[in-house]
Amino acid sequence: MINLNELTKHYGATIAVNKLCLHAAAGEIYGFIGPNGAGKTTTIRLMGGILAPTSGNIIIGGMDIAQNPIAVKKLIGFVPDRPFLYEKLTGMEFLRFSADLYEVNTAEFSPKAEQLLHQFALRDWADEIIEAYSHGMKQRLIIASALLHDPKILIIDEPMVGLDPAAVRMVKDIFKELAQKQTTIFISTHTLSIAEDLCHRIGVIHKGTLLAEGSVDELKHIAKLGEARLEEVFLTIIKENAFL
Amino acid sequence: MNIILSLLKPRVFSTINNLRTDNKRNHWMRIFMFSMVGIVFWAGTFIILYRVLYYFQSVQDFGDILAMKLLSMIIMTFFVLLLFSSIINCLSHLYLSQDLQLLHSLPVSAKDIFLSRWLISTFDSSWMVVAFSLPAFLSYGLIYKAGIIFYTIVLVAIIFICLIASALAAILVLFGATILPAGRIRTILIILGFILVLLFVFVLRLTRPEQLVNPDSFASVVLYLNSLQTPNSSFLPTTWITAAVKAALRGEINSSLFDIALTGSCAFMLIFIGDVIARATYFMGFSKSQTTSPRLFKPLKYKDLSWESLLNFLPRESRAFAVKEIRIFFRDSTQWPQLFLMAALIAIYLYNFSVLPLDKSPIKTIYLQNLFSFLNMGLSAFVLSALAARFVFPAVSMEGNAFWIVQAAPVSIKRFLWIKFFLYYLPLLIITEILIIVSNLLLQVSLFMMILSAVTMFFLVPAIVALAIGLGAVYPDFKSENPAQVVTSFGGLMLMIICFFLIALVITLEAGPVYYAFMADVQGKQLSLLPVTWLIVSFGLAIFLCFLSVFYPMRLGEKNLRIR
Repeated sequence: MINLNELTKHYGATIAVNKLCLHAAAGEIYGFIGPNGAGKTTTIRLMGGILAPTSGNIIIGGMDIAQNPIAVKKLIGFVPDRPFLYEKLTGMEFLRFSADLYEVNTAEFSPKAEQLLHQFALRDWADEIIEAYSHGMKQRLIIASALLHDPKILIIDEPMVGLDPAAVRMVKDIFKELAQKQTTIFISTHTLSIAEDLCHRIGVIHKGTLLAEGSVDELKHIAKLGEARLEEVFLTIIKENAFL
Repeated sequence: MNIILSLLKPRVFSTINNLRTDNKRNHWMRIFMFSMVGIVFWAGTFIILYRVLYYFQSVQDFGDILAMKLLSMIIMTFFVLLLFSSIINCLSHLYLSQDLQLLHSLPVSAKDIFLSRWLISTFDSSWMVVAFSLPAFLSYGLIYKAGIIFYTIVLVAIIFICLIASALAAILVLFGATILPAGRIRTILIILGFILVLLFVFVLRLTRPEQLVNPDSFASVVLYLNSLQTPNSSFLPTTWITAAVKAALRGEINSSLFDIALTGSCAFMLIFIGDVIARATYFMGFSKSQTTSPRLFKPLKYKDLSWESLLNFLPRESRAFAVKEIRIFFRDSTQWPQLFLMAALIAIYLYNFSVLPLDKSPIKTIYLQNLFSFLNMGLSAFVLSALAARFVFPAVSMEGNAFWIVQAAPVSIKRFLWIKFFLYYLPLLIITEILIIVSNLLLQVSLFMMILSAVTMFFLVPAIVALAIGLGAVYPDFKSENPAQVVTSFGGLMLMIICFFLIALVITLEAGPVYYAFMADVQGKQLSLLPVTWLIVSFGLAIFLCFLSVFYPMRLGEKNLRIR
């Protein structure tokens, strides 16, 4: 479902992403981990169509995002790292706005929105203006709006930031359920325990380059660390800086 | 004191970093444009005032009285401007800035935060008024051949007037933030907007500008100006400052120093009072301002009537953006005072046309009416440009940090910009056409000029709206705390300059052949082929210019947003 081919992004003289190649299949939860400034958010923003690559291409659902941006974006549910929203809209108004843009069936909108608001514990806040929401509530609203159009692909930057433990559990369950229904989920995170619990495969990125890729067990094997936790595997891979 | 200096450092360093040569914002064009506008405005103020004062000197008996009356009016105007500017800056710096949460988490007292922010606010609210007050005082100094003492006293007086305005503003804002319910601090801005409108209308009507075109009153202009009153209570700081400057002009140093001392003691007393009040109330007020305000007006609900149902005829994505835009616009209370101001501007504009004594003019009325009709076209287009600069130009920047939603949505940037265009185009077209038709009716212009004006506006409105949307997309500021202020940026300045040239070009292109045709008609001559060709080419060129102004800036804006 997701193919990144030789994806490169330069910010002036800085190379944020360097010839990145990766693949995520339908129903797969792909974790993207790396230290600060590694290029995770840039990659995510390139995949979401928010940034244009310097070179390389992004194939999502069999389409090149540069050639068919609108069609590709309709397949994607995008959740950025910081929950910036239209603060003067209410939660329900924002969901309706998203539904209109993603052409959610009008008849299906109300029950779907109600169900998501209920699921994300936002029902009582649906008619409040978003500026009154806490950080976690905004994050939950963004995830809810990203799920509104039943996307085939979820691209999420730091999904658990600002969420309480109950919400983290709920979001994890939702992701697992969606993956079972063949939704591809691409998650960038610093929280290694989440990557360990949730992801089928994990990619380790550092200085814009993919250093290692595979399941948690495969990464342990790559790092030659036996029964170690992902944290140690991650630190070893970053330290050695060359596994692929 | 060290803590206050430390608290000032981020601002100082930010300013220095902004001036660094490697800063992308320091484009030579930007610096050049701002410098030129500043110099032209500064020199213009100086030349006009110098000439006025020079003229006053030639008026026997009244000259000196008029000059002094003008001086007190200038000082009063500066003070009012400073006070309003200070209130708005104090509100922003003391309660609304995003970095305040960080500052209040630091191990420093609220009193120190207050003082540091008050100093920054004083500087921000004063520097421009001070810069443009200098040519006024310089022209007085030169006309009255004043010595160095006059300039020293003026400098001290300016500093004191700024401190008084800023301290008074801080006291008002501190009280306001304590009295008003939590989070309603922006309500003050709305009230201020109302007051400003009332003050503006009051000042404008008090000066009765229509009297100046009435030939019957030309002889009494001097008396008219003399009859203008400014508040002159001996308890007002402006009275002391005026007295100090007047005395310095006349070389009465002791009297001048007394008034300056009075002003200075008032300034320091107000700062002291402000400090005492801040110690007691500032943190409480800040804490209150952190709570999200409940809605000022509950949404009106009538059956199933909503923006969605009203705009149901639009395509779905367009309707989504339109509804979002309308809701955000009307829920943002900072927009409301601006709306009131614009409404007042339009009302005064039309009112002034209604009181023009055209029948008393020494120039032939039909000619004058048509001349005024062209002037009216230009002025209406400038009113439109002002509206576009204030409301349309920031439209892209208003997306703010939430712009990722547009980028991630399955809607092209081109479509997003055109939706914005049509959202502002329709209301502005209606406003402008009403403005031009009503003012032309008041001017009693010919049917030809009425149609010409309406058609010209029909083509100019989309051009100016597209320029505002396009340049707003070329120069967006998604990180600004107050996106409405992007109008004062380089892009805003560029927009106003381009609009000015576009309006001037279109009207010049129309005025030449129309004047020729008009004169031929007055003289009973038939139009030959050459003037007819001239007419067609000129009007064709004007329409082409308008079309170019619609599509080119929109394409530039789209390109800029796409490559971000």
